[in-house]
Amino acid sequence: MNSIDWIILFVTLALIVTYGTLKGRGSKNIDGYLLGNKSLPWWNVCLSIMATQASAITFLSTPGQAYEDGMRFLQFYFGLPLAMVILSVTAVPLYHRLKVYTAYEYLETRFDLKTRSLAAFLFLMLRGLSVGITIYAPSLILSTILDWNINFTTIFIGSLVMIYTVSGGTKAVSMTQKYQLTIIMAGMIIAGLTAFYKLPKDISFTEAFQLAGVMGKMNLVDVSFDLTERYNIWSGLIGGLFLFMSYFGADQSQVGRYLGGKSVTESRLGLLFNGLLKVPMQFIILYIGILVFVFYQFHQAPVFHNQSLKDKAMQTEYAGAITALEGEYDEVFADKRNEAENLVDAIRKDDPMLIEQSRKTFATIQDSEKQIRSKVKEQISTALPGSNTLDKDYVFITFVMAYLPHGLIGLLMAVVFMAAMSSTASELNALASTTTVDIYKRSIKKDGDDYHYVKSSKWFTAGWAIFGMLFASIANQAENLIQFVNIVGSIFYGTILGIFLSAFYLKYIKSNAIFFAAIVAESIIVYCYFFTEVAFLLYNIIGCLVVVVLGFIFQFIENQKTKKAS
Amino acid sequence: MSEDQNEKPPVFSTWSGWYWFVMLVLAAQIIVYYVITNSFR
Repeated sequence: MNSIDWIILFVTLALIVTYGTLKGRGSKNIDGYLLGNKSLPWWNVCLSIMATQASAITFLSTPGQAYEDGMRFLQFYFGLPLAMVILSVTAVPLYHRLKVYTAYEYLETRFDLKTRSLAAFLFLMLRGLSVGITIYAPSLILSTILDWNINFTTIFIGSLVMIYTVSGGTKAVSMTQKYQLTIIMAGMIIAGLTAFYKLPKDISFTEAFQLAGVMGKMNLVDVSFDLTERYNIWSGLIGGLFLFMSYFGADQSQVGRYLGGKSVTESRLGLLFNGLLKVPMQFIILYIGILVFVFYQFHQAPVFHNQSLKDKAMQTEYAGAITALEGEYDEVFADKRNEAENLVDAIRKDDPMLIEQSRKTFATIQDSEKQIRSKVKEQISTALPGSNTLDKDYVFITFVMAYLPHGLIGLLMAVVFMAAMSSTASELNALASTTTVDIYKRSIKKDGDDYHYVKSSKWFTAGWAIFGMLFASIANQAENLIQFVNIVGSIFYGTILGIFLSAFYLKYIKSNAIFFAAIVAESIIVYCYFFTEVAFLLYNIIGCLVVVVLGFIFQFIENQKTKKAS
Repeated sequence: MSEDQNEKPPVFSTWSGWYWFVMLVLAAQIIVYYVITNSFR
């Protein structure tokens, strides 16, 4: 990065933080601070929802995912539009009618205080830990790329978000997110176009598609019904529907976004437009990864994308072995480039025999390349025990640093910071809202005035931000922490989803039944975690099902008792 | 905040119009992606 990049990066960050702080000023009451006075138009609700969901890892990792695995990850989002429709029918009018600040407030109306408090507590556990990872994951990559200290990067991102989120609350979060998402998408599209224009001059857009397709990367839809496949149309439509129903319907970091809509109409339209735009947006981000993949068929890709880690390994006795492997890698690339050109020729001639023959040769070369990369990773792993040699997340940012012109590098770095900030801001805002409204105001200090609760919310926002930064610093010293937080998420999400599904759709189940069902479900999940080998992704389904089934059983028993007693 | 739960949506005469529209756009996208998958392999 040169001085132009640094100027663009810091000016963009400073403008966003200043804008958020200024726009969010004057929120004197709790309505203004936690709901932004319900003043957002539908398009701002939509952008805010999209910016919340798209974290920095989305933009760093998704192109890398397409680079390695093709575009099949897109199917994961097919259930999202359906979830938007269902929530527009049920949750949006309900939350607006009850004038709630948080999703959990509704649970008191539907069930009772103890169920509300339980759901709020589970959410705080889940989201409180994940806010640390939302900051930590991009900090890890940015600190490597920018050669910054990891703790400094964590504190830098956390503090920037804290400034405008504490001072302006929901309004500041939503107002900044519309610009953040605009900058993010503009930066990503520019990066994709740059990758395309850097391809050999005679390759057209369609040929880039065809080349990626022949290499097995345009695997957008898989209609086979295979439960062992993580991504196919069925897991996307069914699994995705449940996942997004719980995320958008029961997670305050998203509920808080559409509760800020001016009316039911604006909130609904915000959600529905998210349903219309999310899949194409993911398509664009994945396709950028494909363009980077096609680009690297004609340009030498790094043998290992995390350059900083490789440099460290080169300081050890394994440097010679790595250099030798790099030599082999260079030779393979010369063959690969020739075969890529042959493949393009075969595609142009539209000769299936020639295409198949060229594809097979190309696949053999790719296998050799993969083997060399694996050996390099092994060497790095041996040289630096405990290091993470998964370099997929570095593919896109390494490409940006190496091939984008100065100025755009600064813009793309700003994109990653923006994405980290926008999702973190929503999480902090949701944590503060839930702590204030569902715990502090409801159960600890019930007689405070508006000013007191605004002040408390600000303290809670700052407190959660500091907690997130501290957790991110500890994460630095722990192995597999991202997986650990995913496990924590799975431990709590299923139970929360079960409570909300029962609240929305199962009128038969009442307060005591759902509360005890939720307690038992959570205990079963905790037991599964400590004493069984059940895959943690299944905790979501198990937790949800146990809540619903036990809710029915407990309610039935309670009804029988009532009948006997009467 | 409006309390009217039966607010008339823009463009379509009822909310069902919007819901069908979102689902049809999803269906159309899946068909296009399916065609792309099979055309470029």
